[in-house]
Amino acid sequence: MEFEPKILGIACNWCTYTGADLAGTTRLQYPQNLRVVRVMCSSRINPSFIFRAFQLGADGVLVGGCHPGDCHYNTGNLYARRRLAVTRKILEFAGIEPGRFRVEWISASEGNKFAEVVTEFTEQVKTLGPQTKFKIEQQPSLEKI
Amino acid sequence: MSINFKQIEDKLKTEAKKLLEGGKVSIVLAYGKGYDEKHPMPYVARKMSDVENMVFNEFCTANMARYLVRYPRGTKIAIAVKPADSRAVIQLIQEEKIKREDLVILGIPVYGMKNFKTGETIDSKTTCGRYNPVIYDTLLGEEVHGQPVVSPYDVLAEYEKMDKDARWAFWKKELDRCIRCYACRKACPMCYCDPCFIDQNKPKWGEKSPESHGNLMYHLTRFHHLAGRCVDCGECSRACPVDIPLYLFHKKVAKECEEMFGQAAGMKIEDKPALVNFRVDDSDKILE
Repeated sequence: MEFEPKILGIACNWCTYTGADLAGTTRLQYPQNLRVVRVMCSSRINPSFIFRAFQLGADGVLVGGCHPGDCHYNTGNLYARRRLAVTRKILEFAGIEPGRFRVEWISASEGNKFAEVVTEFTEQVKTLGPQTKFKIEQQPSLEKI
Repeated sequence: MSINFKQIEDKLKTEAKKLLEGGKVSIVLAYGKGYDEKHPMPYVARKMSDVENMVFNEFCTANMARYLVRYPRGTKIAIAVKPADSRAVIQLIQEEKIKREDLVILGIPVYGMKNFKTGETIDSKTTCGRYNPVIYDTLLGEEVHGQPVVSPYDVLAEYEKMDKDARWAFWKKELDRCIRCYACRKACPMCYCDPCFIDQNKPKWGEKSPESHGNLMYHLTRFHHLAGRCVDCGECSRACPVDIPLYLFHKKVAKECEEMFGQAAGMKIEDKPALVNFRVDDSDKILE
C-alpha cells in the first residue's frame, strides 16, 4: 500500500483559511492528507505546536499566513516570519528533514495557490517517507491489556 | 602576558568597598569563597564586612547576570562581569528587566578561565571567545590585546557537515541522558520566566519526567526561547551534571540569528531583541 502522510496545516483565519475555503467552493481537487487547524494569526503559532505535532506523528507541517504587509493585525506575520525561520533552523539542526516543514503566504483569493501548495507539499512529504525521529512510540495503555 | 587574578581580586575588593561605603549601591554581586579554591560561589555582598569573603580566580565561571533579575526594580546593584556576562547585562537591559542607571558594572577582562570539572581552559569552543567586556563603568585590570581571535562558531563546522540522520542520532543520545534537574535553566541569565513553560500544567507542553520525548520538547523549546538572546556564556553546559553539550545547539541558533537578522545578542543597548522585532524588508529566503 502506498504511504499516505499525515500533514498538519496551521492556517491563519483571515487569509489561508479563507483561501482554503475558496479552494473548496470552487471545487478544486487537492490531497486529503492535510488536516487544517485554524488560528487567528500566523504569529499565534507557538513553535512548540510544531515540535508537538511531529511528536504526535505528523509527517509534515504546513503553515499558512497572509502575505507580508497584508496581515489583518498589520504586523503579525512579520514577527511570525522571523520566528518560524528560527524554528526551521532548529528542526534542521536537530536532524529533521527541512522539507517536512513549510511556510507559505496564501491570501484569501488564492484558492488555486492553496490547492497547488498542498498537492506539491504532499508529494514532497511522500517522497521523504514516514517521519519516525520525533514520533513518540506508543506505549500499550493499561486499559487495553 | 597573563592575567593576574590576585590583582583583579584586590581591585574588586577595593572597588566594592568604595561603592558600599559611599552608599552608591546596596548590593554587590561577585564571587565568594567556596569550600575549596576550585569551587568559588556566586556571592552577594550587602555590607562592608562581606567584602572580605570575595575571591576571584580562574574558576569563577558563573554568570552573575543570572542574579540581577532577583531583586526588586530600582535596587542599586554593582555587578562583576566577565566578557560574556557583560553581554547578558546588555541583553537584560534590552529586555527591560533592569535599568542601566541602577547598575554599576565592574568589568573584568579575562582569558584562561578554567572549567572546575575538567580543568580545561575555557575558550571560544564553549563560549563567545571575547576577552574584554562590551560594557563597563570600571575596568578591573587592563584590556586584553594580542590574544588570538577565534570565531565562536568554528566548533560547529564538524556538526554541520554531519548527515541528518547522524545528527539526529547524536542529539538523541545526548538529550536522552538529561535527568531534568533544570540546572541549565537555573544557570542561564536569560531564563527568568516564572513559571517556565515546562512547569505549566495547562497546557502541558511536555512530559516532566526524564524520558525521551519530554526531554526533546524541553530542550528544543528552550533553544527556541533563547534564539537571538543567548549570549554564549556556556554556563548551561558547565552546570549540566551529565555534560550535555547544550552550547553547540545554542551556538548554532545564535549563528543563524546573526546571519538572518544581522545582529548578535547583547552587543548594543539600543538594539531590540531579534525575535521581538521585525523589518518589513526581511527576505522570504529565510524560510527556505
